[in-house]
Amino acid sequence: MEGFPGGATDLSQLQSTMEAVEHACSSIQMHVNPGEAEKIILSLRLSPLPYQSCRFILETSQIPNARFQAAGAIGDAAIREWGILTDENKRSLISFCLCYVMEHSGAADAYVQAKVSAVAALLIKRGWLDFAETEKMAIFSEVKQAILGIHGMNAQYTGINFLESLVSEFSPSTSTAMGLPREFHEQCLLSLELNYLKEFYCWAQASALSVTDKIIGCGATVSEDKVCSAALRLMFQILNWNFRQSTNTLGHSINKISASSYGIRHDAVLLKKYERSLVQPGPIWNDVLLSSGHTVWLLNLYATLRQKYSSDVIWIDSPLAVSARQLIVQLCSLTGTIFPADNGEMQIKHLIQILSAVLQWIEPPNVISVAIQSGRNESEMIDGCHALLSLATLTSTVLFDNLLRSIRPFGTIHLLSTLTCEVVKAHTVIRDEEETWASEALDILLEIWSVILGRTDTDKDSVSTEGISAASNLFNVIVESHLKAAAESAFDDDGDADYFHASISKRDERLGSYALIARVAADVTVPFLIKLFSERFALINQRNNTSDPTQTLEELYWLLLITGHVLTDSGEGETMLVPEALQVGFSDILEEAQHPVVVLSWSIIHFARHSLDPEMRRTYFSPRLMEAIIWFLARWVDTYLMPLDATKGQISTPGHEHGHPHGYKLSKKVLLSFAGEHNQGVLVLDTIVRISMMTLNSYPGENELLAVTCQKLFVALVRRRNICVHLVGLDSWLDLARAFANERTLFAITARLQRSLAQTLVCAASGLKDSEASNQYVRDLMGPMTAYLVNISNRNDLKAVAQQADVIYMVCCLLERLRGAAKATQTRTQKAIFEMGSAVMAPLLTLLEIYKNQSAVVYLILKFMVDFVDGQIIFLNAQETSILVSFCLRLLEIYSSQNIGKISLSLSSSLRSEAQAEKYKDLRALLQLLTNICSKDLVDFSSSSDELDSPDIAEVIYVGLHIVTPLISLDLLKYPKLSRDYFALVSHMLEVYPEKVARLNKEAFAHIIGTLDFGIHHQDTDVVEKCLRAVNALASYHYNERNAGKEGLGAQNTDSHGSNGKLQDSILSHFLKLLLQLLLFEDFRMDLAGSAADALLPLLLCEHDLYQRLVQELLEREANPAMKTRLASAFHSLTSSNQLSSSLDRPNRHRFRKNLHGFLTEVSGFMRIK
Amino acid sequence: MSDEEHHFESKADAGASKTFPQQAGTIRKNGYIVIKGRPCKVVEVSTSKTGKHGHAKCHFVGIDIFTAKKLEDIVPSSHNCDVPHVARTDYQLIDISEDGFVSLLTENGNTKDDLRLPTDENLLTQIKDGFAEGKDLVVTVMTAMGEEQICALKDIGPK
Repeated sequence: MEGFPGGATDLSQLQSTMEAVEHACSSIQMHVNPGEAEKIILSLRLSPLPYQSCRFILETSQIPNARFQAAGAIGDAAIREWGILTDENKRSLISFCLCYVMEHSGAADAYVQAKVSAVAALLIKRGWLDFAETEKMAIFSEVKQAILGIHGMNAQYTGINFLESLVSEFSPSTSTAMGLPREFHEQCLLSLELNYLKEFYCWAQASALSVTDKIIGCGATVSEDKVCSAALRLMFQILNWNFRQSTNTLGHSINKISASSYGIRHDAVLLKKYERSLVQPGPIWNDVLLSSGHTVWLLNLYATLRQKYSSDVIWIDSPLAVSARQLIVQLCSLTGTIFPADNGEMQIKHLIQILSAVLQWIEPPNVISVAIQSGRNESEMIDGCHALLSLATLTSTVLFDNLLRSIRPFGTIHLLSTLTCEVVKAHTVIRDEEETWASEALDILLEIWSVILGRTDTDKDSVSTEGISAASNLFNVIVESHLKAAAESAFDDDGDADYFHASISKRDERLGSYALIARVAADVTVPFLIKLFSERFALINQRNNTSDPTQTLEELYWLLLITGHVLTDSGEGETMLVPEALQVGFSDILEEAQHPVVVLSWSIIHFARHSLDPEMRRTYFSPRLMEAIIWFLARWVDTYLMPLDATKGQISTPGHEHGHPHGYKLSKKVLLSFAGEHNQGVLVLDTIVRISMMTLNSYPGENELLAVTCQKLFVALVRRRNICVHLVGLDSWLDLARAFANERTLFAITARLQRSLAQTLVCAASGLKDSEASNQYVRDLMGPMTAYLVNISNRNDLKAVAQQADVIYMVCCLLERLRGAAKATQTRTQKAIFEMGSAVMAPLLTLLEIYKNQSAVVYLILKFMVDFVDGQIIFLNAQETSILVSFCLRLLEIYSSQNIGKISLSLSSSLRSEAQAEKYKDLRALLQLLTNICSKDLVDFSSSSDELDSPDIAEVIYVGLHIVTPLISLDLLKYPKLSRDYFALVSHMLEVYPEKVARLNKEAFAHIIGTLDFGIHHQDTDVVEKCLRAVNALASYHYNERNAGKEGLGAQNTDSHGSNGKLQDSILSHFLKLLLQLLLFEDFRMDLAGSAADALLPLLLCEHDLYQRLVQELLEREANPAMKTRLASAFHSLTSSNQLSSSLDRPNRHRFRKNLHGFLTEVSGFMRIK
Repeated sequence: MSDEEHHFESKADAGASKTFPQQAGTIRKNGYIVIKGRPCKVVEVSTSKTGKHGHAKCHFVGIDIFTAKKLEDIVPSSHNCDVPHVARTDYQLIDISEDGFVSLLTENGNTKDDLRLPTDENLLTQIKDGFAEGKDLVVTVMTAMGEEQICALKDIGPK
């Protein structure tokens, strides 16, 4: 072949290379010495100009794996050596690959052909911007011939496959990395979209057409099926393209507004969950996809084939069927300017067309469901659900419902409802397995419900009466099926697995969708829930003690969960409102006592109150049921107890009430006030506090229940100030506070939960009338804790007593409580909490000494200080700051004296790793402490203005760093969280206070440098960036100081150790070498180029001579003269283009960034080995 | 509330028993527990219930702090478990005798001569080598339920 790169090579050499590669390939397959074999293959990929050998292997080798590797090596080498190949070379490589696949189109081992065609696609893309248009035309006309079937079926298939690899090579997410800037990829992508994509689609369509006659008729062979499904797959892939043109077409936004009134929508985000997106190819595609009747053709094709193979159960899952359905679903998501501005008429017609075809896949739902349960493949039905999801996404709720009415006597929502009913039934029957077809289908269907019901602009009127009754029907089925499943599973054992976060959030997501469905028909579904509850309450009340109530309890458990979701929204951290659907759903009910939501709420709370009776509690209120009750109460409190709206008087925006009858307003008011401050609110609050206190005392060891109580319900109670006002006036609350402060009982709760309890109790102070009362409240609450700690630390026999397990437990609990209080610091309680902290400062130091071997206590002391400093530091004046800061220093000193130079024995590896983990936690706490102290310099709310003896925080941090750095080993820095905290602190300190660096002692300085050295090689981009920032700060400081005639880093710079411990050159020259090495030879991420440039510039300026020398060395090492010249000119322009000067001001840094970027783009192609 | 103050004052005294009862539900990973009469460090805690509406039980996996043997136990989480008093004391190392006993300096100036060298190879060499090099060594002795063992070593360096 003319122009094939690599020159002449003698046959025996080719033969021996081939044999080596073949041998390596077969030994990898047999697992004989794989390391050695991989080396041989790698050496082929990395060898210069391997093309002749590769070609020889491809053409002669009998071993498919060797041919595969040879093809890959061509791609790798050509991308690497692109700069030195002539145009002739490149062309001949591409045509070699293409000819090869065409010639071998019918051969076995299709993966080799696929690889060769991927390599051809890769090379075409690499040269896309260099090749003349005529050259590309020549290549593609060959391909077109093949695809249209001129060279037979095999070539047709090969051609389609080639286009598939080409399209995927040009899409950003699937393209191969070439070490080129993004613009290159972007330009290729735009050019392909503009000039070729549509043509490719037409070719694929034509090739599908050429075989469909045979497929529909009889006598089709396997290869026709193959061609057809490949063509459909290519079309699907092209429609998956992220079209750019259409997004900037004019009038896009106008179109959106006008179309929305006809019911067409553009909520692209909604499909993301299933990794699908809207297809918006723009107006030029209209003729291909729409006006030519393409969709109808496809739908008919699928329907005909489906009919033909109706007796063949596995056909549904055949490649042809799957790719045809994929394409149909994709066409469903077609939208945007491809449709003319005709009020959405054409698009609606298009959607109805598809819907009517898809109906066959999902209708009638009960028959389909039975068929699948008896073994039929479910993929068609799942695809049908996906199609419905696309329809729902693209249409308004009204239009979605109406789409079906032209074909059926009912709306789409009705169909959706019956389909969901069947799936729910199937799902609850086969609940044992996780990933079943029913759960997959249910997820999609619930997503559709969420789409049509969850929109902000959906109101009651957008769902038809028929739709509402379908929804209430569906909710009935959902509840009945789940209750049945609950009763059946009541006796199953309950393990940890039930509490896994993932499965809980999945369950909550489903319940949330069920709740949306229930709320559409709230006037039916809420009374239905009331009925179900009262039936079960009655059962419990009548029950004599002989029968087992477990099934009823489990049913109640599930009912409480679903009711919680129906009545309230789950919004973490947001202010809960009464769901809009419930506010407007009961317009004809004006009496509070008759409002279903009120009745339901009271009946549950009334039932919960029975748990206060010991006899009832023992028999019926199992820990699990109690958990659901507490969870329900927490959500209910957030939403209905003394809601903010009611206290403000005016209920809603005036515009919204326009057109609503008077009743609507009244029924809404009922909802907002039935548990309000002037109604039952305080009474209910008291009941809830008593129930939660009972939970803390009567369910010892039920940690899940106690956690829900402390971390959900109590948090909800103190969330809003208007509730706290009533809370602090309640006897029950004061009882709780008293018990907490003075009694032992609450120590039986896990220490961590005592922390949350302390936090909520302190938070409630916001309900007191002034800051004086709040501070007194906190003092009363926390006084006994500090007194105990002071007391024990002063005991004479402390040494003996302290090590006893009960004392340790007590100290841990108290420290957790102090932490909770510190976390709850507010402006009005800050004073009392500072007093609390100051009171324990001396005891804490004593305890730190005493408990140096009790890592748990040490950790708690550190964490308390982290939270204490975090809460307090912004409020403190100079004097208080200095107290706090010097205390922190003492703490750090003691901690480090206990931990430096200690060799811990561990008897077993698991204990050793525990000790490691403990040390890691301590260090993170220390770093957080330092970072929190740091923040004083950034945010300061203290009132005092005299800054005279305010302690120098930077000084303190540096001393802190001195103490902490020796404890940080390189091994510990492998923990991602720790290393991020550490490097954040280091880079921050170096940037803000570089002048302090020079004053660090030698070891500490060397240690920081050592960690930076380590960090630069880190996997985490964040960490690398922080290290580069630190190096930049260091070098810039040195350069500026030296220019000002000072010594800069001085002695620190000249004599220190590199990472390998050898005494070598200065730190800055070390970093210079390191950085150059990184940029030139290692896999450097382009997104870090900016930070690298910022670090490199001051290094260059500081160590100019060394830089020159290094460049010289690099150039001398380069053997190839062509590359040598390019490298030299790249280095030259790095330092001289764009009028780079020798200053470190911003414009100059900017210029250098540009230069480095150009440099990297230029050299990465041939310097970096990839 | 003043007369109730310090109500939960510790009743601990120096001569207390070797263990202390603590509710199983509050024992956490990394804490200590007595399993089958042996003091253990808890390395794993999981909970389960008999039937969904039963009471919680804790499943502990502990490692004997002296022998490193793995032990397991299941306890209803509202019941009490025994928690060992585990103490660690630092002593300066004075001498290593030929029969494998060490001589330690206590805080009040006496010597303690009833402890053997540890069995752990790693620690043993470090102690022997450090002592041979004339370093000032402090050893940590772990005590629980009447047993003692050297468990850590620290070089306090030249003074």
